[in-house]
Amino acid sequence: MASTVASEYSNEVKNVPIEHQFNPYSDNGGTILGIAGEDFAVIAGDTRNTTDYSINSRYQPKVFDCGDNILFSANGFSADGDALVKRFQNSLKWYHFDHNDKKLSLKSAARNIQHLLYGKRFFPYYVHTIIAGLDEEGKGAVFSFDPVGSYERSQCIAGGAGASIIMPFLDNQVDFKNQYVPGSHGTERRKAQYLTVDEVIKLVRDAFTSATERHIHVGDGLEILIATKDGVRTEYFPLKRD
Amino acid sequence: MDIILGIRVKDSVILASSKAVTRGISVLKADDDKTRVLSDHTLMSFTGEPGDSVQFAEYIQANIQLYSIRENCELSPHAASSFIRQELAKSIRSRKPFQVNVLVGGYDTRKESPHLYQIDYLGTKVDLPYAAHGYAGFYTFSLLDHHYRPDMNTSEALKLLKMCIEELERRMPMDFKGVLVKVVDKDGVREIEDF
Amino acid sequence: MQAIAERYSNQSALVKELQYDNEEGLSNDFVNGRSQFSHLAPHIALPPISTPQEFLRAHTDDSQNPDCKIKIAHGTTTLAFRFQGGIVVAVDSRATAGSWIASQTVKKVIEINPFLLGTLAGGAADCQYWETWLGAQCRLHELKEKERISVAAASKILSNLTYQYKGAGLSMGTMICGYTKKEGPTIYYVDSDGSRLKGDLFCVGSGQTFAYGVLDSNYRWDLTVEEALYLGKRSILAAAHRDAYSGGSVNLYHVTESGWVFHGNFDVDTLFWEIKAKEGSFNNVVG
Repeated sequence: MASTVASEYSNEVKNVPIEHQFNPYSDNGGTILGIAGEDFAVIAGDTRNTTDYSINSRYQPKVFDCGDNILFSANGFSADGDALVKRFQNSLKWYHFDHNDKKLSLKSAARNIQHLLYGKRFFPYYVHTIIAGLDEEGKGAVFSFDPVGSYERSQCIAGGAGASIIMPFLDNQVDFKNQYVPGSHGTERRKAQYLTVDEVIKLVRDAFTSATERHIHVGDGLEILIATKDGVRTEYFPLKRD
Repeated sequence: MDIILGIRVKDSVILASSKAVTRGISVLKADDDKTRVLSDHTLMSFTGEPGDSVQFAEYIQANIQLYSIRENCELSPHAASSFIRQELAKSIRSRKPFQVNVLVGGYDTRKESPHLYQIDYLGTKVDLPYAAHGYAGFYTFSLLDHHYRPDMNTSEALKLLKMCIEELERRMPMDFKGVLVKVVDKDGVREIEDF
Repeated sequence: MQAIAERYSNQSALVKELQYDNEEGLSNDFVNGRSQFSHLAPHIALPPISTPQEFLRAHTDDSQNPDCKIKIAHGTTTLAFRFQGGIVVAVDSRATAGSWIASQTVKKVIEINPFLLGTLAGGAADCQYWETWLGAQCRLHELKEKERISVAAASKILSNLTYQYKGAGLSMGTMICGYTKKEGPTIYYVDSDGSRLKGDLFCVGSGQTFAYGVLDSNYRWDLTVEEALYLGKRSILAAAHRDAYSGGSVNLYHVTESGWVFHGNFDVDTLFWEIKAKEGSFNNVVG
């Protein structure tokens, strides 16, 4: 059964069998990050889309406002990410049809997304997913998911190509990890406290400019979606385009 | 590797099975029972792929019990062993075969005789005076060939089994946490305490 | 026309799905006990090729294929043991994807219901998903039988499930812990190759050997509740110290006849220095 590979332009004939491998995945780079405040939550993402070392687009948004004050982003393989966003938006629409336009809580949205991801346990979506919004008490909330649907609520989380650069920074600046009260000689930890929207936006911008400096798949633009009780607002900041 | 041994003598069959359950480099359990009672006078011990072994044993147990409830008649050890062999033979030709080896020990109350069958996952069935699965046989068959007599009584057979276990404890590289010993005779199945 | 009107009637999709809109469907679930609930189980998609197992392994298995694309979060050291005062369950809270620490705050004890706990080791999503599924099955059992499910039955529902999926690539090692009138305090170990073992003491995960070391040597049946909780915590600390895949914090639970009680979250770093000072142990570490 040894078929041969021959090129019209060469006299070289390879005597190896053609191997077929089913490889439906690719990595489109990019980074996302979610932070919860006391009465707001944000998801930020860069707007660069790449494959290997090529830039496909400098403005391809990947953070979405899905309605019901739910922010959603799935970073990794963008075809899977798009498919997941579409599926979640569709699921939300049907929830409204079936339940008289009832608002979907963020907690329920998270459980729904777990089922969407786990439904493809044996053919996974290659994405790191983050959703954000307000919980039932009006407090800011962020949930993050692994590719097959394990999820957890957290104060802040980064995902995608630049996660390993941004996450240690966030641990230190949002949760005050490894920070101690001055004069306590490393015995008393600095107490965690809520940040304001302005402080969060400052941190997010710093995180993304730093990631842009050191990661080739991060850059071009930064889009931040902010969910508060008054709705969702978007801000855009340029990043280095090289 | 689990140890599964069986000896048939004049009026009984003895089945011995190791008590350890090992996963990776840890012994997770030291008092496991790798046997299932199929009917009043039939006992099956088993080893093989984790998951498969217990699922298969309980499937066989349930079906043999179902048969005796429906027909109001106990299956003879020979009939039970044929059923098990047939199930394994069907399984090996399926998409996901059971990887299980078993010993069936029983006392035929009509013929008033004990029986021991060795059946492997391929569906190979043999009627034997003494039998084993896995490495246990390599250490014990020579001893059994030497000392076994068909007209032994149960206590003599237990003494011979003890010799075998002692040899296994001496020469096997891993600790199998001792053996659980069960005897099947005209009175049914009973466990030998502190063997 | 009637058919079209029915399509858009305000009846809940769930009622339809469960076939509760007709008498027969209703009696199947609540009279005959022939369950329609299986309709609720999700359809799990498979790649359109002949060997889905190999596909999954090629794309997700990080131990055999370190530069594979999809890194699945893996859980790590968990333990549970029976003693005079019930059951102690202790776990760490680190999740890793390859050498990346995906989280230090994972909940590795899943509260199936007020009397049942499940632990999480292996694939985080597999455990989380199927143990919440198990919670639903246990609730359905309660509704049908008007009685709480036994630990034996609950663990068997899960082991039969993992056995069905044997070879497909699930990865889970879990302990189902509970207390019922007829069984007393009970632990079952259930894993993804279909094993189900009853026992007094189990440690599961990559840090199991370190936890066994401390636990086995200090374990007695007549431990007081306070001693048992400390031993559970101390064993996880030992594993978190030696095993790189374990860490974060320790979560402690105690299971009694009146259900489980949470006994706190302890940061490994704080706990380490506290215990080192108190016991005079960990002399391999200076400072």
